[in-house]
Amino acid sequence: MSSRLEIYRVMVLAQAWEQALLRLIDENLAPASYHPGRGSEGSEVGATLALEDTDYLLYDHRGMAHIIAKGTSLTALFGDFLGNELGTTNGLGAGIVHVADPERGVLGQSGTLGGSQLIASGAALSAKLRKSGQVTMCFMGDGAANRGTFHEAANAAGAWKLPLVFVVQNNGWAVSTPTEHSTGGSFVDRAKGYGWHGVQVDGQNPFDVHDVAVEAVERARSNNGPTLIEVKTVRLTGHYLADPQQYRSAETKADASTKDPIVFARKLLHESGEATEDELEKIEAEARTQVDNARDEALKGNQPGQDLLTRYTYV
Amino acid sequence: MPRTITYSEAINEALREEMERDERVVLLGEDVGRMGGIFGVTHDLYERFGPDRVLDTPISEMFIVGGAVGLAITGLRPVAELQFADFIFNAADETYAKMSKWRYMHGGNFTVPMTLRLPEGATGGGGAEHSLCPEAALLAHPGAHIVVPSTPADAKGLLKAAIRDDNPVAFFEHKGLYATRGEVPDGEHLVEIGKADIKREGTDVTVVAWGRMVSRALEAAKNSDASVEVLDTRGLRPLDTDAIFASIEKTGRLVIAQEAPKTGGGASEIAAIVAEEAIDLLDAPIKRVGALDIPLPQNAMLEAMAIPTAAEIQVAIKEVLA
Repeated sequence: MSSRLEIYRVMVLAQAWEQALLRLIDENLAPASYHPGRGSEGSEVGATLALEDTDYLLYDHRGMAHIIAKGTSLTALFGDFLGNELGTTNGLGAGIVHVADPERGVLGQSGTLGGSQLIASGAALSAKLRKSGQVTMCFMGDGAANRGTFHEAANAAGAWKLPLVFVVQNNGWAVSTPTEHSTGGSFVDRAKGYGWHGVQVDGQNPFDVHDVAVEAVERARSNNGPTLIEVKTVRLTGHYLADPQQYRSAETKADASTKDPIVFARKLLHESGEATEDELEKIEAEARTQVDNARDEALKGNQPGQDLLTRYTYV
Repeated sequence: MPRTITYSEAINEALREEMERDERVVLLGEDVGRMGGIFGVTHDLYERFGPDRVLDTPISEMFIVGGAVGLAITGLRPVAELQFADFIFNAADETYAKMSKWRYMHGGNFTVPMTLRLPEGATGGGGAEHSLCPEAALLAHPGAHIVVPSTPADAKGLLKAAIRDDNPVAFFEHKGLYATRGEVPDGEHLVEIGKADIKREGTDVTVVAWGRMVSRALEAAKNSDASVEVLDTRGLRPLDTDAIFASIEKTGRLVIAQEAPKTGGGASEIAAIVAEEAIDLLDAPIKRVGALDIPLPQNAMLEAMAIPTAAEIQVAIKEVLA
């Protein structure tokens, strides 16, 4: 259980990290094939902070907030995007798809979307067989939730009551295809069919997401089975950086912009008296400093040599 | 004293011994537990090791392979079974991308110590979707070993080695060999993965084969007037090219026999490697023997006509010697 201020701090950190990455991309130092995470910090941070260090995370490709919330080094994350030896993949992964951090339980991500669902189910089965008490959390978008992999992973996890949490980040768009065009029902309703617990929550409110996730993690850890959390969230920008979003009307874009979870959380913390303006500004300034230091450190990394090409093909 | 047991018993023994040796070894697959496998290969293991070590899965091939990757990267050593090797395509992405690439893609942060058992081959009427020898399906996707034993001794030794290997191993066992008997050494018996075996020595022509085609090549060799060397690759990756080159240096002639359709299989790859790197060792063009390029018919009589026989290998031997 994390405090609201901690949730806010990590969201701001993720936002600052992404802003710094976008500057690196502008400077042609990092590849532009990035899927911005602005808008989904509420679900990614709110949910991930319900995990312990030893729990497993399979993230999705939008933003870095879940990985940052799990505690992976910001320098290493920059290193991955810069494609240098300081990255978690030593310069091999170069970007969001394949960040890995076994020590923090970050098990990676499948480049074919949905592939992580099965691996998450296997990791949860592993924890159950080893009686380790670990919980596995797997993020996916509404698009990836329509892969057949979802069914096989969810069905096995339901049959065996695996300690698994699926977070379906429903931002309404699978690249350019609206959810109502790609699925006939609601994601949360699927939970019942697989014998899972299902809950829907507003991703604009990261504190509600956190409460729901804490419950789900507790349910998993006490062998009461998996939970599907459907987070209604927003994509504040395009699917990827160069996405002109011609498929999206001005109205839906404007409507999404009113649902920024960071703006929401800041306002709530301020109005409730939980944090003064000075305290909030201090958190934000510290996040920027932390990110700037990590960025400067990461820029010192060397590009890998040709020997890296074959190093990890076989053990 | 070596014992004479079946190929199926040899696999069962390998699984039992490795499960006894290492509690991280778990089995999963369709009907592998209570039933002991539809071919009986995993019999008694459920009774011996219990439901936490031998798991009957839903009919979900993507889960069997993808889930096994999840088990493997979190500290277990799963042996997953796809009921028929043909189902590798039902779990294609999980096999060629997740199992084979997870380690590489994530910069060596993980090992994927899993074995994927794949019962393959034509057995008399299995039909077009249950009779493949799809060993070559993984050739274009580096990251996993491709192992194919031809005898009970190799089946046991290679499977034990596969389970102990920190790399993922696709282990193709031929359904038509399950009942064949052969000598298996007593005690600890391991066979190194990627090391070819000369199953018969000869000086006139080399027949390279693997899986069930090894016994047909041996039969062809026995019936041939020539001195035929039979080299069992025991799989396709790692490929023991040194052993192949050494054999053709001696014989100067090469026949490659596979059960899969002739086009696009392991034989094509081996032929290409020899043509590229060792053509000067040959006194005659390479000859490939494989199944007809058709989906295998369900009619057992027609099926037998479609896949290579010992007689066809014998004809190929005669042709390269002509």
